Amino acid sequence: MLTLNNITRSYGRKRVLDGVSATFPTGLTLLVGPSGAGKSTLLRLLATAEKPNAGDMAWDGAPLAAARKALRTSLGYAPQAVDLPEDLTAREFALHMAALKGLRQAEADAQFAAITDRIGLHADINNRIATFSGGMRRRLVFAQAMLGTPRLLALDEPTAELDGETAAQVSALIVERAREAVVVMTTHLADALAPHAVHVLRVDQGQVRPA
Amino acid sequence: MNVSARSGEVLRSSLRTSMLRYRRSWGLWLLLLIAPVGARLMISDESGRGVVIAVQDQLPVLTSAMLGVWLGIVVTTLLLPVGYIYLRANTNRRQPWQVEEVTAAPRIAMLLGRFAADCVVLLGSLCTLTLAGWFLGWLMVTGPFSPWYIAYPLWLIAAPPLIMLAALRILFDALPWLRGALGDLAYFFLWMASIVMPLLGANQPSSFTANLFDHPGFVRPLAGPEPAGEMNVQIGGVDPASLKPGRIDLDVGAGLHAPGYIAARLAWIGIAVAIVLIGGLMYRPHRVGRRKAGHGWIAKLLSAGPPPAARLDAPAARLAGSPALGLVLAEFRLIGAGRLFLLLAVAVALMGLGGDYRHMGSPASLLLLIFGLCAHAGRSEARGLLKLVVTTSLSPMMRRAAFVLAGTGWALLLALPAAAARGSGEPLLLALATGGAASIAAMMLATLTGSSFAPRVVLLIAWYVYLSS
Repeated sequence: MLTLNNITRSYGRKRVLDGVSATFPTGLTLLVGPSGAGKSTLLRLLATAEKPNAGDMAWDGAPLAAARKALRTSLGYAPQAVDLPEDLTAREFALHMAALKGLRQAEADAQFAAITDRIGLHADINNRIATFSGGMRRRLVFAQAMLGTPRLLALDEPTAELDGETAAQVSALIVERAREAVVVMTTHLADALAPHAVHVLRVDQGQVRPA
Repeated sequence: MNVSARSGEVLRSSLRTSMLRYRRSWGLWLLLLIAPVGARLMISDESGRGVVIAVQDQLPVLTSAMLGVWLGIVVTTLLLPVGYIYLRANTNRRQPWQVEEVTAAPRIAMLLGRFAADCVVLLGSLCTLTLAGWFLGWLMVTGPFSPWYIAYPLWLIAAPPLIMLAALRILFDALPWLRGALGDLAYFFLWMASIVMPLLGANQPSSFTANLFDHPGFVRPLAGPEPAGEMNVQIGGVDPASLKPGRIDLDVGAGLHAPGYIAARLAWIGIAVAIVLIGGLMYRPHRVGRRKAGHGWIAKLLSAGPPPAARLDAPAARLAGSPALGLVLAEFRLIGAGRLFLLLAVAVALMGLGGDYRHMGSPASLLLLIFGLCAHAGRSEARGLLKLVVTTSLSPMMRRAAFVLAGTGWALLLALPAAAARGSGEPLLLALATGGAASIAAMMLATLTGSSFAPRVVLLIAWYVYLSS
């Protein structure tokens, strides 16, 4: 379980999150809200990609200062924009990420093949990322986040740029993983996933409230 | 997986992926080709064609060992910035930090892997230079031709600074404030210092400490183990007419085996590894696009201010009467983007009012312009943006031409107060030449590399030459 207590995050004078408190239990939590409301900022905080200006976070009951490494070991993170290494193949990139996550290479290779097969990317994993379309890149970033058995998945619009069928394939994997893990996902299309979610939270004007 | 096994796996993975990316980039093959093709230009004869190394106003006798020393010195003094540009602008400069930095992977292992890959590439270019040195030696040396006596001094002199260069790049990439223009400026000063520093130890007898000052490694091979005293050594930029006839016979071997010389060269390799470890310990994550604006009157002064009021009934924009002129003006605004640039522009323009314009006002405005030009050139040559620009009615080449005109326009504008105060057109002529040349160079190098690193370093070096001439 991930807990936020009175979290504030500002950029200059703009306060994006203002005293946010929330609990993210095992299961799927959807973050909805208008563009620029702070959904991605909240996700970056959950993924430890950024630090809050004020407030505390806790992972499995331990304050983040002590549990940062444990959280990162359990984390799968798919941000919206990644500077993907264009000259590597998708598989080479995934295996590199697996090494950084401390996963066994052979097993990660097999798991990556399985994940990409389910989201329609398997035929392209030996192609260079430079040849990938926007949707393929999105699926690649999602697939690397799913490697291992992440207990916390932070997904920023993982179904954006995907056609309906592929978005459904990605959603199915997310719902599956949410049975065992804390999955927090931002989306503009909450309707399809809302029935599977334990929480749907609305981020707006620096606050997070049940939608 | 235990910690050391995990660190080892992260190191291997970082090395492997970096090498894969290097291998697939044309830049690597260009770098490996430059060394042998350029080797002939590194050695000068009496005609002065190539880089001259003169001791007591004479060229040295070109023995096999002297040839290795010569090539090594040219690498560690004049060619290091080329290596720096390559490391900063190559394919590995873009890393997927958004997902890498949230893993629990040890930063030191990641950086050591990338450092090792950079070392392999730089030392690979030293290998091709060695091959070229053997070929040149076979053609040029006086006395017996010995491949060993060419390779040994070349590697002893050049390898430690190249490894140090790779370490500096890793350190610069680890710290947010050194990832951009400030890093290039810092490298420029470090490079200058590395060339001047040997003078501090040159007048002492050879020892480990004295040789440690000699990062480029040229003092002992040229001066020998004794204090260099008044020994006159010139590297590059020598007028062949000023050279005395005949050649000076240097005992290069005595210098290479002078007390503490080899130990100091090895120590530089150790220092390089230590710098990478420090980089790993000090590593700070990348920042997301939005920057902290700060507080107080300085932040207020530098902020862009509120956006203009929106009119809901604003009509659709019509075609400009002169699109080319609009493009030049747009480039002009983007080169001078931000209030900081404008404030500094006012300061350097005022600097030109007094003193020697050629040595104060002109270099100051050129320095400011270099940062503005390179930042904008790098931004506009980003591959993603180019894909969009090619779809507009004005082609990328038109934009580049507009960039040169706008850059030259900035130079003229900065020189205008000086010209008015002196009642002379000389500041404007200087601005036209320097601003035009800097704009063309910035645009060409940014187009070639797709980044601002290469133009910035090259122009900073050119700026120093301009300042000191």
